[in-house]
Amino acid sequence: MVRRLAAAALLFALAAVTSLALWAPPPAARAQAVDVYINVTGGDKSKKINIAVPDFTLIAGTDQAVPKLLASVIGNDLTLSGFFSVVAATGSIPANNPAALAQTWTAFAAAGAHAGVHGLLAIRGDRLEAEMRLYDLTTPEHRLIASRKFESPAPQSRRLAHKISDEIVLQFTGEPGVADTKLAYVVGPPGSKEIVVADYDGAGAGNVTRNASINLSPSWSPDARSIAFTSFMNGYPDLFRLFPFERQRPVQTLASFVGINSSPGWSPDGRYLALTLSKDGNPEIYVLTLATGVLQRLTRHAGIDTEPTWSPSGQQIAFVSDRAGQPRIYVMDKDGSNVRQLTSGGFHTQPRWSPKGDPIVYTQRSGTHDLWAISPGGSSPRQLTSGGGDNQSATWAPDGRHLAFQSNRTGRWQLFFMTVEGQTTTQVTQGGNEATSPSWSPRLP
Amino acid sequence: MLTRALYATLSSLLLTGLIISGCAKKPATTASTSAPAPAVAPAPAPRATPPAAAAPSTAAPAPAPAPAPLAGPAAARPSPKEFAAVDALKDVHFEFDKYDIRPEDVKTLDANASWLKSNAENLVLIEGHCDERGTNEYNLALGERRAKATMNYLVSQGVQANRITIISYGEERPVCNEKTDSCWAKNRRAHFLVKPR
Repeated sequence: MVRRLAAAALLFALAAVTSLALWAPPPAARAQAVDVYINVTGGDKSKKINIAVPDFTLIAGTDQAVPKLLASVIGNDLTLSGFFSVVAATGSIPANNPAALAQTWTAFAAAGAHAGVHGLLAIRGDRLEAEMRLYDLTTPEHRLIASRKFESPAPQSRRLAHKISDEIVLQFTGEPGVADTKLAYVVGPPGSKEIVVADYDGAGAGNVTRNASINLSPSWSPDARSIAFTSFMNGYPDLFRLFPFERQRPVQTLASFVGINSSPGWSPDGRYLALTLSKDGNPEIYVLTLATGVLQRLTRHAGIDTEPTWSPSGQQIAFVSDRAGQPRIYVMDKDGSNVRQLTSGGFHTQPRWSPKGDPIVYTQRSGTHDLWAISPGGSSPRQLTSGGGDNQSATWAPDGRHLAFQSNRTGRWQLFFMTVEGQTTTQVTQGGNEATSPSWSPRLP
Repeated sequence: MLTRALYATLSSLLLTGLIISGCAKKPATTASTSAPAPAVAPAPAPRATPPAAAAPSTAAPAPAPAPAPLAGPAAARPSPKEFAAVDALKDVHFEFDKYDIRPEDVKTLDANASWLKSNAENLVLIEGHCDERGTNEYNLALGERRAKATMNYLVSQGVQANRITIISYGEERPVCNEKTDSCWAKNRRAHFLVKPR
């Protein structure tokens, strides 16, 4: 914890120094002796660490595309992390040439870079071996901050890049990045919705359901190995889970009672699933113990109770109830006791408890839908999105800092990222199909 | 050019970060992190296959543990596909975010009840629907309440409860796709389908 706070202080201080540097913009530099071309990227760098990520140096193998891909994916990851501004670069640093390396870093430093990533790559058969060397370009000697080796199967080059990115974020912030994660989400028009899994940046999207019915509410298990979801595949809205990395493994039925079986919410330890069932008359929240199949009913109310989301301690559950006339956010203890109303004066659904404990993000409807955040203790709510159509269905990244959500600001539902501070949003999914209901996976094992 | 003072400031800041990192974290190592073993694997699970559907370049974490027991029995529910619409049974509609029967729909429901009583060989499926406003999970619950409220009214009019099945489609099956009040009003409905016993 001490380390994390200190890292935050470092970033803050760096931001101040960087803005000083902007008063006297360094000339765009071009390294002469080595095949690296650089220039400073546009955009707001006042709060970011400027980092250079040249193409990886290929030390074994012949596929020139992989060294470029790694640098490109890492650059995008670092940008999406929100901590970095990536200094554009083309070309790679020659292998085993300290003079060329020094000259490259000197040129990048002159262009405003605070840090540089020298990646080395060996392609050996169907394996990739990479080494990431991270340099502090603000020191005259270009101090080596860290060096780390990685391996991966050749077809998983993007994942290799994501792991390297997460290591770089770790070195600067004290917590790994969230690039080595997945998004599960719903694709398709009303009446025909399937669940898709993609890398967190939208790459490599592929169906994990193909049952030609309506599939809703994907939710990653805390071990990142299964996805709970609601499906009409057997005619009625039942609750299932699928195993996206085990192709032969059949879908498992979790709940198929009379009425609705919906809104899966995993406990942080993965042992329990909170869910909504209407088998006892109207939509109520229950907790299913996965190892035994035992159900415990938590709510007893004539209105709608649904959308349970656990606190990271596993001790409390936030949920939606219309018991006050309109849907609002409530919190109860995990056994259903001690219910208290968290939000008031609006139409509030989709509570999502931060994996860091604070805040709870939810969707408010007032004409259009927007994301809001409130402390579990009930502070004044804070609006996270505004304008640009509807913004809803938030999901937290495991860092408790990034959110993905769906927005129709482009005219069709697509997925976007933002940080909880409400900084710049980035579109994740593109294309003709509508994308909704994202669930951000935990960091992959 | 960055000034020497600036360099010194940045250096000391970065150095601070490094020292902190160095103290609190395991030193950077050359260990591979490509394929860590699962934390727990209680039973030999099926072998994981890279998910062709989920992109060949994506990760394939280790297999998950064996499935837990199922929760609850699959109830004997007639397949919704076996039901078909009949002209005699008319939809009823609802106000936004409401599930009570509107006074103007009572006549329609009475007629539906009357038809069902005189066609006792039929089972009825009541679908509850919502407009696209609100959010999916809430609307699934809201559609359930609409279907249930409709069922309760029919039962109060003498239709046997054991002839009635309900289903909520939430906002997932609109009959009208425009973003207008009149379109939304059409979508907030209870719809009736029947099948012979």
